[in-house]
Amino acid sequence: MTAALTIDGLGVNFAGLKAVNCVSLVIDEGELRVLLGANGAGKTTLMDLISGKTKSTEGRVFLYEEDIINREEHQIVRAGVGRKFQIPSVFKDLSVRRNLEVASCRALSVISNLGFGFSQSERSRVDEVLEMTGLADEAETTAANLSHGQTQWLELGMLIVQNPKVLLLDEPTAGMTQAETHKTSQIINGLKGRHTILVVEHDMAFVREIAERITVMHLGQVLAEGSVSEIEQNPKVREAYLGSKGIA
Amino acid sequence: MTKRYLEIASYAVFIALVLLAPFLLDDPFWLNRIAKYLVFGMLGIAIALAWGYAGILNLGQGLFFGLGAYMLAMSLKLASPTSLQQGSDTPVPDFMLWNAEPGSKTDLCCINKASFLWIPFQEQWFGVVMGLVFPVVVAGVLGTIMFRKRIAGVFVSIITLALVLLVRLLVIDAQPITNGFNGLTDLGYFTVGGFEFDPYLPETYYLVAGFLVVVLVGTRLLIETRAGLILQAIRDDQNRARYLGFDVPRYQTFFFAVSAAIAGIAGMLYVIVAEFASPTFMDLTFSISMVVWAAVGGRASLLGACIGAILINTIEATVSETEAFVEAWKAIIGLIFVLVVLYMPYGLAGIASNLTDRLLQLFGNRRAPGKRAANAEVQQPAE
Repeated sequence: MTAALTIDGLGVNFAGLKAVNCVSLVIDEGELRVLLGANGAGKTTLMDLISGKTKSTEGRVFLYEEDIINREEHQIVRAGVGRKFQIPSVFKDLSVRRNLEVASCRALSVISNLGFGFSQSERSRVDEVLEMTGLADEAETTAANLSHGQTQWLELGMLIVQNPKVLLLDEPTAGMTQAETHKTSQIINGLKGRHTILVVEHDMAFVREIAERITVMHLGQVLAEGSVSEIEQNPKVREAYLGSKGIA
Repeated sequence: MTKRYLEIASYAVFIALVLLAPFLLDDPFWLNRIAKYLVFGMLGIAIALAWGYAGILNLGQGLFFGLGAYMLAMSLKLASPTSLQQGSDTPVPDFMLWNAEPGSKTDLCCINKASFLWIPFQEQWFGVVMGLVFPVVVAGVLGTIMFRKRIAGVFVSIITLALVLLVRLLVIDAQPITNGFNGLTDLGYFTVGGFEFDPYLPETYYLVAGFLVVVLVGTRLLIETRAGLILQAIRDDQNRARYLGFDVPRYQTFFFAVSAAIAGIAGMLYVIVAEFASPTFMDLTFSISMVVWAAVGGRASLLGACIGAILINTIEATVSETEAFVEAWKAIIGLIFVLVVLYMPYGLAGIASNLTDRLLQLFGNRRAPGKRAANAEVQQPAE
């Protein structure tokens, strides 16, 4: 197994507060890893550190062999790390198709984008993802008019279009109905194996649907790691996060 | 698709009207006036590009207009037969003579400490090139600093506003080389291959109209490119665009510089038709007026903003000549602006777009979802 994402002693110090403290984590190629933890455990901060939103004060992050720590966000994306935000962020005044086209655009510089239209392969990729996310019927809808769930899928779709090596998903089911959550788990399950995925999630029903391995974070550190049942049985995890009733 | 054809048709009608105006209007005085308003129309386009498409509300667009204007005006001042010399072998602008340090040599090189800056402007084309390059370089540097630092929204407005006032002060202060408050007047004609562009000739009108058409169509095509689409994506959500791998500040700076280039060209054309350059170009009121024109016409529409500028200025010219309105006009325009912001955030173009939507629906255009998709011209920007 090759390691797709290697986090080595990563930490950040916010004026004395160690939001993430010496976290080490290895995620194999094609693996889907769920990151659990109570509020303030440092899950989102960990994603910020990986994706370059927050600059780390210690440790390193490798994407395969490449050291990507503390690069600029867009460079990390180009290296192959896609990120979905907790609050769905899409281009709300553009149509769904336009949103995906922007994501599909291979040329990145201004000058090389002074041409019209998208290539055949870019357009067929967009169509593919429209099908995959179930947004084909909404292709011409302005993103602002989508439902909450559809907006989440659109953002997910924008990542999928880019075909990143590693996907960071921050609470992809936040605010979704049960049916929507189920559909999201189907989409994510469809990505298993093709991408390496790191998901932050609270919804345990959802976690059971998608999880292979779980890493539990507590107070900025890794508390435990294992399969769903191992984590459910782990006394330390119960104490710190789940309460004595187990995974609810 | 119907709506797209209508949009193209509206561009075509506008361009035709602009090009036919000299035939409909056989009055050199009015033709000259309209030419000035066409220049303002270009400023409307520049604002709409930056504000509507890039989400950058520049409250100091007059800076780029002023820089363009001064660069060409310096060359035209040196080309003026009546305002030079006065008892010297080498031509020197009149105001420099009046401001000369006692005992200094009457020559551009050394009549005052900074007058040598004028030397290259003896060549008219140097002024023209500088009129384009100077605003673009300033916008490039300013944009790079602002956007790399991720300054956005109202802070960009404050910085640009402060900058235009600062430069205005500098221009006024540098009296020996800028003629201060009075600006550069008594200019020569812009000359191409022996032809003199007298501001009251139809040829001069066509010079302006031609540039307007090129700028309008060119800008429109520019936002149809992939880069234009990405720019709109950045306007909607910078962070998302960054996390799709785009170097956001570069896109913002590029389009900010394009907007500055348009303003620079407009400044030069204004000097040709109005025959002066003055610090009033960098007055706060002028920069704010441009924003009002674009808002009334529709900031999300290049054509709308352009028409807004021309329309408001034409009305202003007619109304302000009626004595009762001379003072009231400023209040009226202020009121219009408030009403527009409150009740029609996308301006005249927004109204036109909504109307065509309704009409298309009425005439059994059954592509209901297409209604939203086809509004390429009025893609409602972020608030």
